[in-house]
Amino acid sequence: VLRELLHGRRSLLWLFGPPVLFLAAVPLVNRVEPTVLGMPLFMAWLILATLLTPPCIWLAARRDPLWRPGWQVDVNGADSGHAGVDR
Amino acid sequence: VNRDAVVSIGILALFLVATVALGLRAVRRREHNMIEWSVGGRSMGLLLTWVLMAGETYTSFSYLGAAGWSYTNGISALYVVAYLSVGMAVTYLSGPLLWSYAHRHGLHSISDLVGHRFSSPLAGAVVAVFATIFILPYVQLQITGMGVVVATISYGTISLGVAYLLAFLVSEAFVLVSGLRGSAWVSALKDALVVLTLLVVFVWVPVHYFGGYGELLVRMSATHSAWLTLPGPANRELGVGWFISTSALNAVVYSIFPTSVAGFLGARSPQILRQNAVVLPFYQLLLFVPVLLGFASVLVVPGLKDSNLALFTLITHTLPAWLLGVVGAAAALSSIVPMAVFMLVIGTMWTRSMPRWGGGERDERAQRRFAQLITLLTGVVALAMTYLLPNALVRLSVLSYEGIAQLLPMTLLALLWRRLSLVAGLCGLVVGVLVDVTLVLLGRDPLGGINAGLIGLAANLLTAAMVTRLRPADTPDELLAMPEPRVPLAAGH
Repeated sequence: VLRELLHGRRSLLWLFGPPVLFLAAVPLVNRVEPTVLGMPLFMAWLILATLLTPPCIWLAARRDPLWRPGWQVDVNGADSGHAGVDR
Repeated sequence: VNRDAVVSIGILALFLVATVALGLRAVRRREHNMIEWSVGGRSMGLLLTWVLMAGETYTSFSYLGAAGWSYTNGISALYVVAYLSVGMAVTYLSGPLLWSYAHRHGLHSISDLVGHRFSSPLAGAVVAVFATIFILPYVQLQITGMGVVVATISYGTISLGVAYLLAFLVSEAFVLVSGLRGSAWVSALKDALVVLTLLVVFVWVPVHYFGGYGELLVRMSATHSAWLTLPGPANRELGVGWFISTSALNAVVYSIFPTSVAGFLGARSPQILRQNAVVLPFYQLLLFVPVLLGFASVLVVPGLKDSNLALFTLITHTLPAWLLGVVGAAAALSSIVPMAVFMLVIGTMWTRSMPRWGGGERDERAQRRFAQLITLLTGVVALAMTYLLPNALVRLSVLSYEGIAQLLPMTLLALLWRRLSLVAGLCGLVVGVLVDVTLVLLGRDPLGGINAGLIGLAANLLTAAMVTRLRPADTPDELLAMPEPRVPLAAGH
């Protein structure tokens, strides 16, 4: 089932960005020196990671075949393309 | 009663009245059925979804707890930012998956979803009860948080007991009538207040006490450098391994947490959820403010007995009364909004997963009435526990995320895992909970630096996989997740 869901969505590899920044990198940046713009390194890193998270998810999204181009979404839910039972 | 107290209480009261009015106004000209109440009729756009999801993540913990945590334990408080950011990457996939499944089968909550996936209403009821046990502590935490805020900003004029009651009354007042949509509207007011007040305090505190952030951080590095790295000054256990394992676990759990799922299901389409996953992470920048203010408190007011008061101790006697009132209103709403959604989710789960009591399958109005009754009862129980056993539930709340984590195989994975049977899922759940609770009770959380919930989840998955190997299920396609239909991309994208 998972293979079907992910078929042809290679850009989703960008979703590994946030876990790499926030988890894998932590052992390397858990220190005070050197400071960045007066901030201790670990805090500066976490701020950088927070700022980079939306771009990572955006890079995953923009080449995802399921992403609808543009931010305007049809009002009546027709964009969902689903036949739901409770609509 | 002095003049300052009158001013700040007056401003807080004004915002609380506005909250109830806004919440009630949200559902004018809307239908009075169950789906409208529980998931906003699955019709919320990006903006409402965004403010609601932001509102749920930014609770009174963020105001009081994050500052208190960084005051005591240092920068490890930022694990919240780590798991919410990683969680957004997870919800990019899991949100649309859950939305599509719920939409296709007409489901309102995770207990509903489990009952449907395993074709077993009993399984749904078990999940509803299980989830309630782990969410109830959060409701109580919000009541306690609101009590502390109101008592502080009224300069002690309003007692804790009265403030608890106030939290209960205000949140019930709008959620009973307006459900998820009302909560989303109140969230909008709350988010605006939170952003505004945090920015003001963010600029004001360091300038007032230190002349700027540079000086604050220089002094922290010079005298309190232990606060600036893991594991922090007070607890050797909060090391790198703990930070990584907790953030990883919570990131995944966030995407099945019953209140997040309510937010997902309220969206108009899966595309809204993908858009939300792109824009919501910016909101986490706000969490750095209370953490920095916790550092400021270490330097300005060291040695507090109740670290949760660190932030307010810092500002109570230096901010003008009217501004304190606004900050208090923001903090109070940070308790009220999540509390309302927690109670609503419990009401929804019980109604939908116990159809015999919940007004039957068909009668939407009866379902809604029953859900409202449960929502009221939840608040009453949490309020009573706050008065009678203030510590019991708070202790349980430590377990909340780790407990809900054990539902992961039966909810999200079950939609992808054809061979997983109900027996295998339940065996895994029992083993996972036993392992986690045992470790916590023995004081072994974290164990070897690894979050006990993650260890429980590993045991849970292993058990489920073994039982599945012995007795695999063959779940029909229509009960599993299905890929969303794809549209051809427009030229230029």
